[in-house]
Amino acid sequence: MTVDERPIRDDDLHAFVDGLLDSERQKEVRGYLAQHPEAAARVSAWQKDGETLRQALEWQLKKAVPATLNITRLIEGRDIHHRAFLRMAASIAIALMVGTGTGWMMRGPSIPSGISALSLEATAAHRVFATGPRHSTTFDVVDPAQLASWTQQELGRAVTPPDLTGAGYHLVGARLAATEHGPACMFFYSSDRGPRITLFVRPMEGRDMNAPMRAIRMPEAIGYAWARQGLGVSLISTDPMPSLHSLSNRVRDEMDSTT
Amino acid sequence: MSNLSELEANIPALRRYAWALLRNWSDADDLVQDCLVRALGRIDARISPGNMRAWLFTIMHNLYVSRWRRMKTRNEVMVEDADADLATPASQAAHIEMREALRGLAMLPEEQRQVLLLTTVERLEYSEVADILGIPVGTVMSRLSRARDRLRDFMEGRERPVLRRVK
Repeated sequence: MTVDERPIRDDDLHAFVDGLLDSERQKEVRGYLAQHPEAAARVSAWQKDGETLRQALEWQLKKAVPATLNITRLIEGRDIHHRAFLRMAASIAIALMVGTGTGWMMRGPSIPSGISALSLEATAAHRVFATGPRHSTTFDVVDPAQLASWTQQELGRAVTPPDLTGAGYHLVGARLAATEHGPACMFFYSSDRGPRITLFVRPMEGRDMNAPMRAIRMPEAIGYAWARQGLGVSLISTDPMPSLHSLSNRVRDEMDSTT
Repeated sequence: MSNLSELEANIPALRRYAWALLRNWSDADDLVQDCLVRALGRIDARISPGNMRAWLFTIMHNLYVSRWRRMKTRNEVMVEDADADLATPASQAAHIEMREALRGLAMLPEEQRQVLLLTTVERLEYSEVADILGIPVGTVMSRLSRARDRLRDFMEGRERPVLRRVK
């Protein structure tokens, strides 16, 4: 080796392993490794471990991509959700106008029904009332007896929002929302970290009186929706939460046991 | 290749990386789906064609940091046993090596694991890894050094602190 050769450093050894050196530098590193057995052992272990790791993760590349990650489907879903959301937003606006006495309404065959409608309404209401600056609630102090008589009055049946403190969520408020399918009650839960989640309930009207849990995936929010004995329930979060599914199962089970 | 087919071609690699971070398929696929939805919303606005792979990994990394990691640190993520999914290769010895490599990977601090995966498994260049993770190249190199030495120690039996009994 000549004195004016650049010294071989860790960075060069890594680049050698990763095949990122030009041929000149590669040759220099080879020469260095020939004279430094310890460095040579280190480099060959890195190469071997890297290869093992690639092999160990190789099967994941070959694993079939699920339909939920199909690009065409995602694009269609996005467009449909956007259109459906706009329709929903419009119908909420209309419902509000009806409520304030403007007195006109519109119904069309394209408006979703059943669990799909419930999902859209829950998402729309969550966006308006649970996120952003409004945070408007009808009840801040949560008294179970009060909520029971309130839901009885609004929905025609008493609904008890489940206690989720075990999962780190506290009931922080409730309010009424207007939907195409009548009044809905929203319950807001909050945790120390992360945004609010919304529990949205309303009676179902004819379709999907009992429906298994279904995932809601929209660009703006995610959640789950289901129906039991004519009561539609949805749990919505703005952020993806790995725990939302198990939390939804818990809500469903607890609500089943109290009704 | 059109933008969309290039996007599609990267899905398996995104899933592999997401799985290696979260060690759970349903969460990994949720993260990838999030990433794809985000990418689809911006793909037309991408000014320079550049390296789509690095671009996608950047989106996913940011989503992971902003939304997912806190869930993971709260232990809300169920970790699947890697063995369950590890395809059985030709020889038993190779199988054991691979299993150990996945264990060694899981044992690394997350910041080292990310660098090791992006360089060694995803074969991205150091400057791309630096961009994806939002750290200087020098930091990439030092994390890579620590990751490789530590994995080597683990694989050679010098560091096997909490060996879980395999059924």
